[in-house]
Amino acid sequence: MMFSWRRARSVAYKEYKHILRDPFTLIVTLVLPLVFVGMFGFVIDLDYKHMRVYVRDNDQTSVSRRFLQEVASSGYFNLTPVHGQFQLDQALQRNDSPALMVIRSGFGRRVRAANPGEPGQIQLLADGTDNVQASIMGTYLQGAVQKANAVFARDNPELADAAAQAGEQVRSRFLFNPELNSRWFIVPALSTIIIGFLAIVLTALTVAKEWENGSMELLLSTPVRPAEIVLGKLVPYFLLTFFDVLVVFVLAVYVFRIPFLGSFIFYMAACWVYITGALALGLVISVVTRQQQAAIQFAFAVGLLPSFIFSGFIFPIENMPLFFRYFTALFPQRWFLLISRTVFLSDAAPATLATAFGAIVLFAAAMIVLAVQKFKTDVEP
Amino acid sequence: MPALRAQVRGVSKKMGRAQALRQVDALFDAGKVHGIIGPNGAGKTTLIRLLAGLLHPDTGSVSYSEGGQKFSSAQAKRVTGYFPQEPSLYPDLTCEEHLEFFRDLYALPQEEFEPRARELLQATGMEPFKDRAAGKLSGGMYKKLGLMCVLLNRPKLLLLDEPTVGVDPVSRQELWDLVYGFAGENMTVVVSTSYMDEAGRCAQVHVLSDGQMLASGAPQAVMRQFGVNDFAEIFLNHERK
Amino acid sequence: MNENETVIRVKDLVVAFGSFHAVDGVSFDVHRGEIFGFLGANGAGKTTTIRTICGLLNPSAGTVEVNGHDVSSSTAVLKPLIGYMSQKFTLYPDLTVRENMNFAGSLYGMSPRQIAARAHKLMEFIGLPENIPDPVSHLSGGVKQMAALASALLHDPELVFLDEPTAGTSPQTRVAFWALIRRLAQLGKTVFVTTHYMDEAEYCGRIALMERGKIVAMGTPEELKKEFFPVKPLELTFLHPVQNALRAALAQAGIASAVFGNNLRVRAPDRAAFERATAPFRNDFTVCETNPTLEDVFLQAVSGRKKA
Repeated sequence: MMFSWRRARSVAYKEYKHILRDPFTLIVTLVLPLVFVGMFGFVIDLDYKHMRVYVRDNDQTSVSRRFLQEVASSGYFNLTPVHGQFQLDQALQRNDSPALMVIRSGFGRRVRAANPGEPGQIQLLADGTDNVQASIMGTYLQGAVQKANAVFARDNPELADAAAQAGEQVRSRFLFNPELNSRWFIVPALSTIIIGFLAIVLTALTVAKEWENGSMELLLSTPVRPAEIVLGKLVPYFLLTFFDVLVVFVLAVYVFRIPFLGSFIFYMAACWVYITGALALGLVISVVTRQQQAAIQFAFAVGLLPSFIFSGFIFPIENMPLFFRYFTALFPQRWFLLISRTVFLSDAAPATLATAFGAIVLFAAAMIVLAVQKFKTDVEP
Repeated sequence: MPALRAQVRGVSKKMGRAQALRQVDALFDAGKVHGIIGPNGAGKTTLIRLLAGLLHPDTGSVSYSEGGQKFSSAQAKRVTGYFPQEPSLYPDLTCEEHLEFFRDLYALPQEEFEPRARELLQATGMEPFKDRAAGKLSGGMYKKLGLMCVLLNRPKLLLLDEPTVGVDPVSRQELWDLVYGFAGENMTVVVSTSYMDEAGRCAQVHVLSDGQMLASGAPQAVMRQFGVNDFAEIFLNHERK
Repeated sequence: MNENETVIRVKDLVVAFGSFHAVDGVSFDVHRGEIFGFLGANGAGKTTTIRTICGLLNPSAGTVEVNGHDVSSSTAVLKPLIGYMSQKFTLYPDLTVRENMNFAGSLYGMSPRQIAARAHKLMEFIGLPENIPDPVSHLSGGVKQMAALASALLHDPELVFLDEPTAGTSPQTRVAFWALIRRLAQLGKTVFVTTHYMDEAEYCGRIALMERGKIVAMGTPEELKKEFFPVKPLELTFLHPVQNALRAALAQAGIASAVFGNNLRVRAPDRAAFERATAPFRNDFTVCETNPTLEDVFLQAVSGRKKA
């Protein structure tokens, strides 16, 4: 028997009616991403501001003072100078600051000499007990250093080359988020996670539901084939979740004013593929578990956890042990997150994301094949 | 378009840990109304699912033929209609939407579907309820809708798993009337039931108890064979042994 | 204890859910020690009536009295008198029978000693071993039903409601269960039982047939058969395959018939009309009178009501 478009269409049409007549699912699907993205976007602000830092300036030159001025003007740091060993000991005993910044003597001389092999040095001693704050402080300070470099280059054109060179390494980290605004990272990333997870849950429930309410048995006694059911179930949910993607996109770009610098078509194509993969994964779960409750638990395990842990959303992948760096490659969330961040915040050519795009295509294809393969045509336990 | 004949030979089937069927032999003659009679847990559903091709025997075989010509299980499945015991319709879809859904699943042309649907709606008296959602139908009407869905395709073998359970006597009567109205030269009907008093309504009964086929034949002949006055006694006596 | 004492008195009861009248003007009395059968389809209003008598639902109109108390105003007095075994299985599947009984007993404020004594007696009465170590979910359907009955009887109620207690059980279980019901009645308990097995209804002292919220017939099985079948139904055995043509001819004459394999059951109060309709087929079948079943009664009662 051949694949029948008519049967696939009739399954899709039936599914579409189920969706329309179940206001709860419809509302959850349409409103949940909005609520989450809105809430996270507005409420979560990972930016630390006015962190108190003790400063020991052993250089005491115009260069060091100028540098500290720049650091203070970033707004992230409250600089409190300490003089001499006694004050320093007192400050450390008070234990009311996460960090101590030390400018070594000779800092001004080195900067003026502009010798790339011997740059000016600042030491930051941060309290490692709050590692998040410590690392954020480190990165913010580097941002301030870079800004100071630029100011310095402007003020001393004869040293511009050297200053630009010195700043190059630092600058690469902040190029795409010069204001170090965490909201810019979160909104596109979060949209991925919420929509991808929603897609998995939606389809994870559908087939299991048909097993539970008995309709699967009747369906299997007709000539309908697994591929037709799989396709028929994918299409309506694809449209539904794609609508979500568009809504979140509009929200990100027009409400949170996140710059969208990349290719819109490429981003949409990536969304299509990613959603399809997530929906197909949901179907695989549903086909295997045949029970809604188990399907939901599975969906959480394979949908939600990797979204946060293995995608690079919370823990940067480059900081992971080697095994996990490769392990994360199994999860489409990681690749889509890369695409999403890059496309939003840079105008990099789509070709640079070929690996990531290829990975999500592969995942989606594998999931569809698996869903069809695992689909049972009998009621054997 | 004659009816399908199904033969079950030496079939055993385990469902989970339970031995649902033990060495079952049964012949379902073409064009007759067959009843599989037995209490809950006797293996009726397993036997019907085997006939529907939804389960595969552990040992033994199920074969189909039409007028002496063999049918493969795949061929047979295409001309078999099966309505399960458990609710299996979509509660949010209306009767008409169900019929249209099954029209597409069976790939029926519209010009064939329309008169058939009209005929079925009329025969079942469901015409006034065609816009009602399946979840809002009474027990009897629900079963009638299921029957219509599987009859759309004019099956040569119709399998109904406990169609009369939980249905009031009036609807029960109507369902049996429908079965006899559609059975005949072109359709073999197999109905399972745990209502012992329904055995008499079948042309042929197959008495199943604890996975074993105790007897097959016309109801009166089977009762004579066991020397009893009603079917419940067969099971009571069987238990005592 | 008076044999003819009225235990339940229902008068003009209406229970409405919105515009839908689940019970629509029902009146009946049940006497002490009686087995009162309540018959009808799913959705006919049986369970709603039972729930109202148990004080779980309030009447929209009419009155319900149990032991002379109005149920809606004296629920607390009546609850200990009533044992209710609901249609859905009501024991916790992960507990043993005994654990279930301990829990049920504690709900009625029984002490552990009382529960133990009562459980011992009940299990003996029902014929189950007293300490089954398995959780309820591992038991067979019949044992489960028996255990559920034991649990409903634990607080020694006067009045026992059994809502489809034998649905889906084997003939053996049904026979055993009905034997228990009869013994309960002999002990002076009033048993109110619903079923949709028409053959079981024969075991009841009196039955009420319910259809769409109304009682369409009430009486002892024998009374009902006499009332609805002053003339016995006929059973036709075919000699030639004229079944469909004959049924069509009967339908034309307004005579109901039902196919039973190779036989046809005919409800024909007017014999002359039957003879006229079947005249052309006279040589194609043999005919004999047969005893009406309660199923026949139900069909007759409902179809009579539809005509009226």
